[in-house]
Amino acid sequence: MIMAFRNMNRRCHIGLQQLSSLASIGRTFLGPVKSYKFIVDESTSESILTCSAVRLLESLDLTSAVGQLLNETIQAQNKEYKTGMTTLLFLVGAWSSAVLECLQQNVPFSLIVSVMSEGLNSCSEKVQCLQLSVHNLYKGPNSVPIHFTSSSLHSHQASPCDPHNRCLNLHVCPTDYITPSLVEPVGNKTMPAVPGSSLIASSYIKRTRLTHSRYFNTPGKKHCSLQVDNFGGPPTGPAAYPYEFNDFGQLAMALSHGNQSSMKLVQDIVRCQQEVADHTGSSQFNIAEVVTCCLPGLSEHYSCVCPGYITLVSPEKATVTKQLQDRPLQILLVDGDLTEKYRHLGFNRPSNVRTISENVGLQESSSESLWINCVLDILIQAKVNLVLVKGNVCESLMERCILNNILIINPVTLNVLHAFGKGTGVQLVTYLSQVNSYCVGSSVWVDFWRTGDLSTMELDNKVPISIKAEGIHLVTAVLSSTVSSKMQITEDQFWTCAYRLHHALTDQKVFPGGGAVELLCLSHLKKLEEQSLKQPDKKPSEDFYMSSCWLTKSLTQYKPVVLKALASGWHQYLSRVICNTAHYASEFEASASIEHHLKKAADYCSPSAYILKEFNKRDKLMVDFGLSTKPEEAVKIYDNVTPKVEAWRRALDLVLLVLQTDAEIITGPKRNQLLNSHVSSEFIFL
Amino acid sequence: MSRIEAKKPSLCTNDPLTKERVSFSLSVLSGIVKSCYGPTGRLKQLHNGMGGYVRTTSQSSALLGGLSITHPALKVLTASVQNHISRFSDCGLFTAILCCSLVEHFQRINFAACTVTKISRHLLSLCTDYLKSEACGCRVSVDFDSIKTLLSLVRSILASKPACMLNKTEANHLSTLVLKAFLLTIPHTIETNVVLGKCVIIPVKGKRVMDSTVFPGLLIDIPEFQFARTFPVKRVSSSAIKMALFCISMSGDLSNIGEGTVIVHHGISLEVAVLDQLLNLGKQLVNDQVGLVVCQKVIHPSLKQYLKEHCVITIDRVGVSMMEPLSQMTGSQPIAALHSVSPTCYGSLKDLRTESFVSKHFLHLVPNDTLVCSLILCNRNEMAWDELKLACQTAEHVLQLTIKQPLALLGGGCTETHLASYIRHKSFTLPTSVLKAIDCSRTQYQLVADAFCRSLECVACCLEHDDGEILTDMVYGHFWSVQSGFPSDCNWSDLVLKCGCGIYNNQRNLNWTVLRSQYIPFAPQSCSNEPSINSTDHLVLDCFTAKCSGLQVAVETANLILDLSYIVEDQN
Repeated sequence: MIMAFRNMNRRCHIGLQQLSSLASIGRTFLGPVKSYKFIVDESTSESILTCSAVRLLESLDLTSAVGQLLNETIQAQNKEYKTGMTTLLFLVGAWSSAVLECLQQNVPFSLIVSVMSEGLNSCSEKVQCLQLSVHNLYKGPNSVPIHFTSSSLHSHQASPCDPHNRCLNLHVCPTDYITPSLVEPVGNKTMPAVPGSSLIASSYIKRTRLTHSRYFNTPGKKHCSLQVDNFGGPPTGPAAYPYEFNDFGQLAMALSHGNQSSMKLVQDIVRCQQEVADHTGSSQFNIAEVVTCCLPGLSEHYSCVCPGYITLVSPEKATVTKQLQDRPLQILLVDGDLTEKYRHLGFNRPSNVRTISENVGLQESSSESLWINCVLDILIQAKVNLVLVKGNVCESLMERCILNNILIINPVTLNVLHAFGKGTGVQLVTYLSQVNSYCVGSSVWVDFWRTGDLSTMELDNKVPISIKAEGIHLVTAVLSSTVSSKMQITEDQFWTCAYRLHHALTDQKVFPGGGAVELLCLSHLKKLEEQSLKQPDKKPSEDFYMSSCWLTKSLTQYKPVVLKALASGWHQYLSRVICNTAHYASEFEASASIEHHLKKAADYCSPSAYILKEFNKRDKLMVDFGLSTKPEEAVKIYDNVTPKVEAWRRALDLVLLVLQTDAEIITGPKRNQLLNSHVSSEFIFL
Repeated sequence: MSRIEAKKPSLCTNDPLTKERVSFSLSVLSGIVKSCYGPTGRLKQLHNGMGGYVRTTSQSSALLGGLSITHPALKVLTASVQNHISRFSDCGLFTAILCCSLVEHFQRINFAACTVTKISRHLLSLCTDYLKSEACGCRVSVDFDSIKTLLSLVRSILASKPACMLNKTEANHLSTLVLKAFLLTIPHTIETNVVLGKCVIIPVKGKRVMDSTVFPGLLIDIPEFQFARTFPVKRVSSSAIKMALFCISMSGDLSNIGEGTVIVHHGISLEVAVLDQLLNLGKQLVNDQVGLVVCQKVIHPSLKQYLKEHCVITIDRVGVSMMEPLSQMTGSQPIAALHSVSPTCYGSLKDLRTESFVSKHFLHLVPNDTLVCSLILCNRNEMAWDELKLACQTAEHVLQLTIKQPLALLGGGCTETHLASYIRHKSFTLPTSVLKAIDCSRTQYQLVADAFCRSLECVACCLEHDDGEILTDMVYGHFWSVQSGFPSDCNWSDLVLKCGCGIYNNQRNLNWTVLRSQYIPFAPQSCSNEPSINSTDHLVLDCFTAKCSGLQVAVETANLILDLSYIVEDQN
């Protein structure tokens, strides 16, 4: 083991330079008009198409310590919020170059650290006055509107309400085999009917009601105002606020940031879950019970939302599916592998046990076939037709099951297994020897997933099938993309939309989007800067916490410079966003427009009031995502609160962490490599 | 056939410290520890250079643990510092810096090692006697009736670890939590033998620091799906749940099979035999009305299923660190056998609840007597969380040491400068009889004492990382920092603001001077009757016990290193 040690130069801080250049590669991902990037692996000539910060960093070879820290920070934000990573990446770049400029002006390190971190803190508190409450927006399924656009119509037909309904009806009156044809309204504008509606009549009535949207039927019910939090004291009444959300749909669209089609799917999911929830009593948008099924190569028109679980299976399993459709099935949920050798986690196989046999004819392979026979016996005796398995399944067992018309689906994620467990009220098993009456669920249905004209399809030799159960909340978003290489992007965009809505509902508040929040930060920092210039504080200000006393003394000297650096991060962010929306030809023009608004905000009685006023007018600065063609249909843009503020904080934390780092200590068997490398002079070996 | 290779002769180096390589390595090591010291200390990235985990830290325990040092002289140094850290958690960097400075300064005066050792031992005893006497001017007594001093102590520890990435509000919030958690571990009734409870740190990574909180009792992380289906609990009475705690694996494997080979006849399955045994155990647990089974390791899925069907809640894989608090809290004896479980081993709980917290789910074990608490510690990423956990553990340990000896030393460099002026003053007024007793001349004594004081002052100066200048006052001997490059004719009191520990401000004329300049020795005054000790909110305080030990370890280790005359290395 050796240890190498590298010092980082003060004036041209290597770490910050690395950070700034790494982060600059994500600049074009900001804003609604994104430029895609191709990442080409020279050794394999494979390439990846991407437009997200996470995927970009994932595919890069980041061996430097700083690169790794950047990747870890982005991944942590992704794991926690699934949104805000591009903002994070951009601000890391902007702030690290701003800090480098501070270093050029000889600002003490510690001062940069404390002024910037307290400045950000102050801004995060300030922007709370822009928060818009959404807590009274969510009044049950009636507040979720139905959209009548051609694409969503298409998806609703395709959405499996019909087969689902048929299944449920069959379950209730199993003798009535005429039902299916009765409730198959081909080409009709139906919504997914409420699962669990047991009579044909009721579902029929429901359908006629549903052909007219509730959106038009009961307009009075869904006027939910979006109120402004902490703005001008306690709310005096909805009339005092210029912001009104007519419905949930507007919120969703405002959070779509240009991905309307993905957000429409998310809305459909919310409605699907709400309809099930109406019957079972639980409520809200549960993102844990959402899964995706990707169909690369199909037209985007096929994207839709279906209750239950949609997955692709091999043609052999499709044959079994054909046998099993149209009747209630018994299901078994296995949270391990279905192989003879599989043992649960934590089971250590003893190495020193030897089995001896007196019967010479017995062969090695027989133990597996014994096991398969045993497993098959259990499945047949428990009358199980459908097995969902988390892990691998033994090939020969799979074949035997297919012969016996038992459908095994694997691999299935844990949240799907639990959704089925919850819906059917059964326990998951690890081994088939555990199977008893508590483990076998009933009232499960399989069918082929059907497109709009109710035809089944085959895709790359795989067939999509759907599995449903009574009372299950699980919803699958079927995603398709004509360009296969865009599949990953489509899926990422869907999840981003889903999480944005999820965060808005859990936070119960949103920010006005399109740069309003950043603009307020800029105006707030300008005010702080002016204050510190006007009244050089005699005593240490309480806001800025200094550990060393002379630094507190010299705070006035450097504070404006550092605050300016902090502001420059958001300034760059704003002008980049505006530029990427293509309203302005150059960053210079964009920047001039920002200055113009800042000046106006400063002249206004309160900057936040000015910003909200402008937001409402949707001035050009407030980035218009160019979604609508007709002005009356224009959608406002909203942002998430916690993910955004957290992205700022994480970005600044990373920059300050790297700033405060003065040495790299490398331990490991790489001495010779380091000695021979061109940077060997930078290292000290102990 | 084995190849025989001639043994290499051992390598013997004399006067190792005079070798350039050693002094260079020593200066690099000293540079590393010095640059990490204090709240504005610089951070170090520790990694293996091959894409492994990057640990950014400025804490001595992480730093020294990550350094791989080859030279024996340096190994002596790091080993004794690490030993100090394992006993006291705090003041590791102080010890390391002081030791390095002492070696550097003592080497410079170039006396015989034994003379230096003798004199420095005497100086050390002067220091420790002074620190332990009532007259000590740089310590404050800790009043457990008010939380102010305790909070200052905790806050000083957290604030001196910049890689935790805490802002002021977060540091205050966490200091309160750490203190609250500590107070929950103190027994309500004091008997002759006081045993403190345990504070268990529950990791929640990826969340905001402000989400951290303290719960009395124990929280155990459970997956969401289990959370939804846990209840009702089987109770013995309305306020008692019987609990069994297992410290062996219940996974159904044959882990304790021993050496040698076991031969089994075909058709006999050991696994089935073990599982039968497990299910019998399950039957007994159900008959004994146990409501909760906790296992350190894995429980077999079949046993879990059986117990669940009988309304017994199971928690497995709690880990070894949870065992002691669990056993202490519930009174259960950890069971290490799968057969003949004695009912006396069972413990009891007052209640069992579920808590949902920052999108995580926990089973909350509420004991009858809460001496165990859980500190849910949140931080935004893995690395900052690791750093924060270490800092919180240090703070908890320091509080435990402080309850034993309710004293604290002034932090922010004031103790070091104060002690240096005390020693300077003492060495000038030392009676000749003492000099005779340690067999050295006054000049020798004063030279060594000066090197000793300079080393102490050097530690204080390491708190400054932004090119500031350090002053000291000629009344209390405290530490003051000013911006460098000030005009020579300026008024000192315009430059200074507060001393390092925060007791004094610039209001009185305290006769400042540049720290490392020559000045007439004076007897520093005590701060103990200073009213601001109780009024100032933000005092910087250090752990008394840890710092005293650090001082001792540093001096002893420096003497040992200076005394090295030969290094014999086995080259095979």
